[in-house]
Amino acid sequence: MIAKNTSVIKIYNTLLVTVPADPDDNTITELQEHVLESMEKCVAKGVILDISMVETLDSFFARTITETIQMVAVMGGDTVIAGMRPSVAITAIQLGLNLGNVRTALNVELALDMVADFRPGGQK
Amino acid sequence: MMTGRDACEVSIDSENEMISVRKVIRNVATEMGFGVTDVTRIVTAASELTRNIFLYASSGTMIWRTCEVNGNTGIELIFEDHGPGIADIEEAMQAGFTTGGGLGLGLPGTKRLMDDMEIKSQKGEGTVITIRKYLRRC
Repeated sequence: MIAKNTSVIKIYNTLLVTVPADPDDNTITELQEHVLESMEKCVAKGVILDISMVETLDSFFARTITETIQMVAVMGGDTVIAGMRPSVAITAIQLGLNLGNVRTALNVELALDMVADFRPGGQK
Repeated sequence: MMTGRDACEVSIDSENEMISVRKVIRNVATEMGFGVTDVTRIVTAASELTRNIFLYASSGTMIWRTCEVNGNTGIELIFEDHGPGIADIEEAMQAGFTTGGGLGLGLPGTKRLMDDMEIKSQKGEGTVITIRKYLRRC
């Protein structure tokens, strides 16, 4: 089953994954598989995880995201986390989540700039 | 859900309850007048403790209620289970310590997100964790 409310679309060589607002643990696990399968199917070079709708980022969610980034990396892709809300950023850091090595962007537009070099003829 | 009441119990016996606990707490805390950052802190703390219950004890309950401590109004959440209990609470409160294969952030992280946290646990009997967050008035 594909995680409901999860959209994965391909923009040039990048997958744009929109994470639903309040996913349960199963949805998060399914999302991880869905992203990795889409990497292979779409021959993508990178992934943008849009978490701008996410209201609660707890330790399980964060661990799955960190894992997904590592899995995408071993498949040869880069990941950018985009759109973390201020309240989620405050809570994540105070909870002690270590997202220090994760590439992040304020929003999807800036994340697309960061992965622009994946595009054919990209400038960045 | 449960608007206009100042206490309610939610039973936790499957992962699906994570969503209902988060929804209930988000609504209650927002209605009480907590700002979006405090609501996120409270909901995230509740999410950690709810996951601990079905991870370690498989079932339990969460009770939320409004509370008044030293003139401060707040929300109080009590998580109770009859699971294996916590052998060494001090150890469990250390960042990185886990017996469940997680990150070991749940308990120390929850303490940082909330104003008060009390843990009572008997090995083999179960665990009761009470957390509180107070409304700040200027």
